[in-house]
Amino acid sequence: MDALVFYISGILMIASALLVVTRKNPVYSAILLVVFFVLTSVNFLVLRSPFLAVIQVLVYGGAIMVLFIFVLMLLNLTPQELEEKADPRRKALAAAGSGCLFGLLCWAISSSKRVGEAGEVDLTGAVTGPAATAGETREIGEALFAEHILPFEFTSILIFIAIIGAIYLTRTRKSSGPAEKDEKEEGAENPQEAGA
Amino acid sequence: MTLSLELCLYLCAAVFSIGVYGVLSRQNIIVILMSLELMLNGVNLAIISFGRYFITESGATLSGVPPSTSQVFVIIVLAIAAAEAAVGLAILLAVYRRWRSTQVGDMRLLKG
Repeated sequence: MDALVFYISGILMIASALLVVTRKNPVYSAILLVVFFVLTSVNFLVLRSPFLAVIQVLVYGGAIMVLFIFVLMLLNLTPQELEEKADPRRKALAAAGSGCLFGLLCWAISSSKRVGEAGEVDLTGAVTGPAATAGETREIGEALFAEHILPFEFTSILIFIAIIGAIYLTRTRKSSGPAEKDEKEEGAENPQEAGA
Repeated sequence: MTLSLELCLYLCAAVFSIGVYGVLSRQNIIVILMSLELMLNGVNLAIISFGRYFITESGATLSGVPPSTSQVFVIIVLAIAAAEAAVGLAILLAVYRRWRSTQVGDMRLLKG
C-alpha cells in the first residue's frame, strides 16, 4: 500500500516537474511547483520522515512559494516581457545535456554494488527497536542541537548574511542620503493626503 | 508491492535532470530559480531515501550512523534553499529595475 502511494506520487512528481519547466507563464509554473512540493512531502511520509514532510509543506509550499508568487505579482510582467526568444537549438542542446546527465546517473545507480545489494530491502517495511522513532521531532531535535550544533549555527549565520544581502540588493539607488530619501517619501505621501 | 532504494534513486535522478533541463533551456530568471528548487528537492529525496535504507528492520543502523543524521542534512539543505531563493529573487528585482527585463539573454554585460 505504502509502495503504491510512493509510485503514484512519484509519477505525478515527474509529470508536475516537467510541466514546471515547460509552461510559458511563470505563474502556472509556480502553482505546479506547489503541487510538486506537496507530492514530495507525501513521499517523505512514506519514507518515515513525518517531521520533514510537514516542514516541506510549511517552508517550501508556504514560505518559498509565497516569495516567488509575491515577486511575480510585484513585477507584473506583460505577455511581451514573458515571451522567450524561441531558440530550438538551445532547447535541443539542453534536452541532450540533461538527458546525458540522467543516463549517467542511472548508469551510476544501476552499476553500484551497494545499491544493488539494497535491492531486497523494502523501504516501506516495519521498523522496531531503537531506530523506530527516527524522523520524529524529538529525535531530530536531539540530533540537531546536540551532535550537529556547529553546522546549525553556521546555517543561522548564512541566513543572516542572506537577509543582509537581499536588503542591500533591493535598496533604491536614486537617493544618495537618508535625509533626501525622507523628503521624497514625504513628497510621495502628500499627494495622497491631498487626494483624500 | 515493495519499494527498493534503487527505485527511489531513479526518481531523484529524474527530478534532478528535469531541474537541469529547466535551468539550461529557459530564459526567464524566475523559472530558472524554480528549476533550482526542483534540483534541491531531488537531492533531498535522495538523502531521505538513504537515511531510511540505513535503518534496518531490527532497529540498528548500518555503518554506525545515528538514525536522524539524514533528517538534519535535509533541514540544513532546506535552510540554504530558503536563503538562496531570497538572494536570487533580490538579484532578480535589482536586475529588473536596471534593465526592465527578466530574460537572461538580455544580461550580457560580462560577455566578452
